[in-house]
Amino acid sequence: MCKKEIILCVDDEENQLAVRKLVLESEGYAVLTAASGQQALGLLEQHQVDLVLSDHLMPGLTGAELARQIKVLKPDLPVILISAVNEIPSDASNADLFMSKLDGPMAMCQNISAMLARCKNGSGGSSS
Amino acid sequence: MEPKVNILMVDDQPGKLLTYEAILGELGENLIKASSGREALDFLLKMDIAVVLMDVSMPELDGFQLADMIRQHPRFQKIAIIFISAVHLTDFDRLQGYQRGAMDYISVPVIPELLRAKVSLFAELHRQARELELLNRELEQRVLKRTEELRESEKQLRQRADLLDLATEAIMVRDLDGVLQFWNSGAEAFYGWSRREVLGRNVHQILRTKLPSSAEEIESVIVKGGRWEGNLVQLTRNGREVVVASRQVLQSDGGGVRAAILEINRDITAQLQAEEALRKAEKLAAMGRVAGIIAHEINNPLEAIRNAFYLLQHHPSLDDNARVYTRIADEELTRVAHITRQTLSFYRESKEAVPVSISEILDDILSLQARLLQRNGIVLEKAYRSDGPVVGFPGELKQVFLNLIGNAIQAMPEGGRLRIRVSEAIEKRHRRDGIRVVICDTGSGIRPEDAKQLFEPFFTTKSTKGTGLGLWISKGIVQKYHGMIQFRSLRFIRGHITAFSVFIPKSASPQVSGSRLLSGASVTQ
Repeated sequence: MCKKEIILCVDDEENQLAVRKLVLESEGYAVLTAASGQQALGLLEQHQVDLVLSDHLMPGLTGAELARQIKVLKPDLPVILISAVNEIPSDASNADLFMSKLDGPMAMCQNISAMLARCKNGSGGSSS
Repeated sequence: MEPKVNILMVDDQPGKLLTYEAILGELGENLIKASSGREALDFLLKMDIAVVLMDVSMPELDGFQLADMIRQHPRFQKIAIIFISAVHLTDFDRLQGYQRGAMDYISVPVIPELLRAKVSLFAELHRQARELELLNRELEQRVLKRTEELRESEKQLRQRADLLDLATEAIMVRDLDGVLQFWNSGAEAFYGWSRREVLGRNVHQILRTKLPSSAEEIESVIVKGGRWEGNLVQLTRNGREVVVASRQVLQSDGGGVRAAILEINRDITAQLQAEEALRKAEKLAAMGRVAGIIAHEINNPLEAIRNAFYLLQHHPSLDDNARVYTRIADEELTRVAHITRQTLSFYRESKEAVPVSISEILDDILSLQARLLQRNGIVLEKAYRSDGPVVGFPGELKQVFLNLIGNAIQAMPEGGRLRIRVSEAIEKRHRRDGIRVVICDTGSGIRPEDAKQLFEPFFTTKSTKGTGLGLWISKGIVQKYHGMIQFRSLRFIRGHITAFSVFIPKSASPQVSGSRLLSGASVTQ
């Protein structure tokens, strides 16, 4: 039996975080949520996570900064930034993907599954 | 008291001299006695003599010979000579005397009154002549002095004019009616009219001056206060419109009869343009910042709502009707997302400009709009005569053409023709190679009164559907590429034809700094 893949979802806005969690769960993922970058880093120490989906513009740590710190701790953990800002920030490349919230739920889910599939292939090839 | 004149009496007989002295004594003039012609000449050379009274017959040098000698000397030509003779009083003698320039001729016996009267007359004549000469000399001197003064003031004027010519400002002197009297080289260089061409003509007619208030008002300010300052709009010879900061000062010539106006004009066209550009840039930057903030604030809840509808659509408790409702709501939300992306976002995929195929971009857009074209019954005619590779950001260029094509489609709800042409072109003014894209529709047209505001932010003819930012953003992007965007809307009996033409130079490398200013979407953290 296939274990559910775990996504850590980060956003400072409660409603958005909750709805995004529901969408991801409806797609069959297990979802952890964090309301800030700091909180997300704490959760990552305790839990095994397959992918981080983070808002970019948050008080404290920005999504891009969070991605940078995650890559130091866990270089293989994929990070997707999902943002409402218009212009791609210069440090967006810290993450594996930068997408717009305007792309909608379908695009979000497609991006996540494609990213997970790619990582699975990549890590599976190297570890076995 | 009148100055005395000198009367020289010449006779070889001392007795006669004494007689003349007695007769003329009461005239009160200086009487000088000479007993020979030579002695007389000595006196003549030494002093200013008014009248010479002389005997014709004298030994050694007789009267006629002496008179000859006197007349030969230019200084003595005006001296009156009275001959006195006891003998030789023939007409021939008299004639000879007159020929030698004698003024008069007296024969013996001398009648004292007559002699006195004659001498007195000549003395008076001499005195008057001397005064006249004096006056003449004074007059001459005054004329000389005045001439010198005039020369000096003319020199000063010339120096001043030379100084005025050194000034880069346009300086002119004109009368109250505007007729030009002076025009410096600054004015020649700036307006393109030479001094020779404009002097004597009306300045306002030549420069087609547009005054900030009525001419009468300005004139009354100058006449009352002596000066006026303000901005004028004028045309140079080659038809360029310029704005000048004008200072006008009343110059009155003495009694103010020939009043003239000194006008100094400084070109502030470029300055005003720079200020205007700065204002626009600031406005754009502010708009960009606002747009960025609005986009962020809308996009966030929009995502949550769309996610919620996504969940709702798949919710098992929903019946078929409810599912239709959520689908409609989701479609509308998708459109909202589309609008905010197109108008409030200045999405840019890459940091560096890359070669972009315009025709590919157009095809991308058209494939997205295919359904809408079909639904509205719009016939699409494509004429790609060039692949249209330019260097730029695909997202930006896509936004430009998406806006134009979107507008064209929306203008044809009842169907029509959408013609899209891509061709190589040369922009005439700067002779640049580039790509021209013409998007032409047979829709509702553009009203002449809307034409001016078409590219202004928040101007829309679509009431609730448009944001009023599409064309404004498109223009900003095209300008960033140093390109041009123009339109024409023609009205025919059967409808309108509206064409938007976009020229993108091939060599253009869009300025990144400009885009930042334009997008301004960096939401501060």
